[in-house]
Amino acid sequence: MLGKVKIKIAVVAIISALVTLMGQATLAYYSTVGKATNVVTSGSIQFIIHEMTDQGTEFPEEGVYIVPGDVVSKKVSIENICEHPFYLRVKMVYGIESTELSSDECFKLNINEQDWVLHDGWYYYNGIVEPGITTPDVFSHVEIVGSKVDNSYLGKTLTLTVKAQAVQSENNPISDGNTYTASGWPAE
Amino acid sequence: MKRFIALLIAFVLLVPSCITAFAADGKVSYSGNAGSFVFEPGTEHSLTDLFPDFKGVMPGDSLTQKITVNNYADNKVKVKIFIRSLGAHEESVDFLSQLRLRVQKSDDNDMAYMFDASANETAQLTDWVCLGTLYSGGKVNLDVTLDVPVELDNEYQNKIGYLDWEFMIEEYPVEPSDPKPPQTGDSSHIETWFVIMICSLSMIILLLWRKKDKENKNNAEKH
Repeated sequence: MLGKVKIKIAVVAIISALVTLMGQATLAYYSTVGKATNVVTSGSIQFIIHEMTDQGTEFPEEGVYIVPGDVVSKKVSIENICEHPFYLRVKMVYGIESTELSSDECFKLNINEQDWVLHDGWYYYNGIVEPGITTPDVFSHVEIVGSKVDNSYLGKTLTLTVKAQAVQSENNPISDGNTYTASGWPAE
Repeated sequence: MKRFIALLIAFVLLVPSCITAFAADGKVSYSGNAGSFVFEPGTEHSLTDLFPDFKGVMPGDSLTQKITVNNYADNKVKVKIFIRSLGAHEESVDFLSQLRLRVQKSDDNDMAYMFDASANETAQLTDWVCLGTLYSGGKVNLDVTLDVPVELDNEYQNKIGYLDWEFMIEEYPVEPSDPKPPQTGDSSHIETWFVIMICSLSMIILLLWRKKDKENKNNAEKH
């Protein structure tokens, strides 16, 4: 009698196991959700102005003592330190004791006119400055004009500031190879 | 001449690696059984970033990012894959609102974009949109195009914009009327063999019980 009960229990258990297995095979379908965080970043234009001497050293930040007629070594170039190419322009601003001077008053620069073109007071580099590239010198020497620097300049501080501006060359066509025709030059 | 050939070989070897480096595709993979999605390639900004080609964008850029959605589930199921946009993170809204984003399936040439709006919006992807039903090994290719206006101002240099997308799958059994899925190499039908094994074991146990029962009865009759 006990054996028959055991057999019945075993049969029921087996049928249950089979039904469970078949149920898993037909009903276990899933859904799931996943999230992706996507990122857009914008680029930028960055450069460094290098001011060097003939000896390959950096031009001293505190300046140099001069007398009329001196020719000072000061080589100015610009390096592209970003990942994008750009057009470039520079402007020299002259001053004495925080007063702006006109260019021909005290300084005379040997501008590299082969690579830099004057237009509306700015010298435009006549090409594209690719990433990691340094431009040819804008100028390499500054002459203190003896006929202009008289005794009234004694003990005064004369300044020569190089301003530079760049605009991307990607998606920015120019006319006739003139980089000053590029769009997006910042307002002065 | 030898040097030229060597240079040529070096060039041929280098060019494909350069192309790979500059054209990384996004990839969404589903492996089945409610496993999580895998998003590739990821970037330094987000491990689930599908936009490796949208980095350092500049005014005037129009860039297209290819994204492949793959179903690697086994061939017993087919999956419906859906996509929706959750929009831009709060701090990214200003930057991304300047950009235009378009999404379409690569195989559709009718220019019917499933998304065409500012990159910060959810627009047509606010609700789930079905990308299709994929069998094992199937995939859907998406083209995501980002347009950066040439007038984008200097204040948007070096900006980072985050936007979230969600993918959802629903698994369904493959019906007899469905196209035959490709063979994946696993045709052993392990469930069938498992059921046969259970049945065999059950039969053995039953036979043993009956034999033991019979022996007990015989012993009882002798006594």
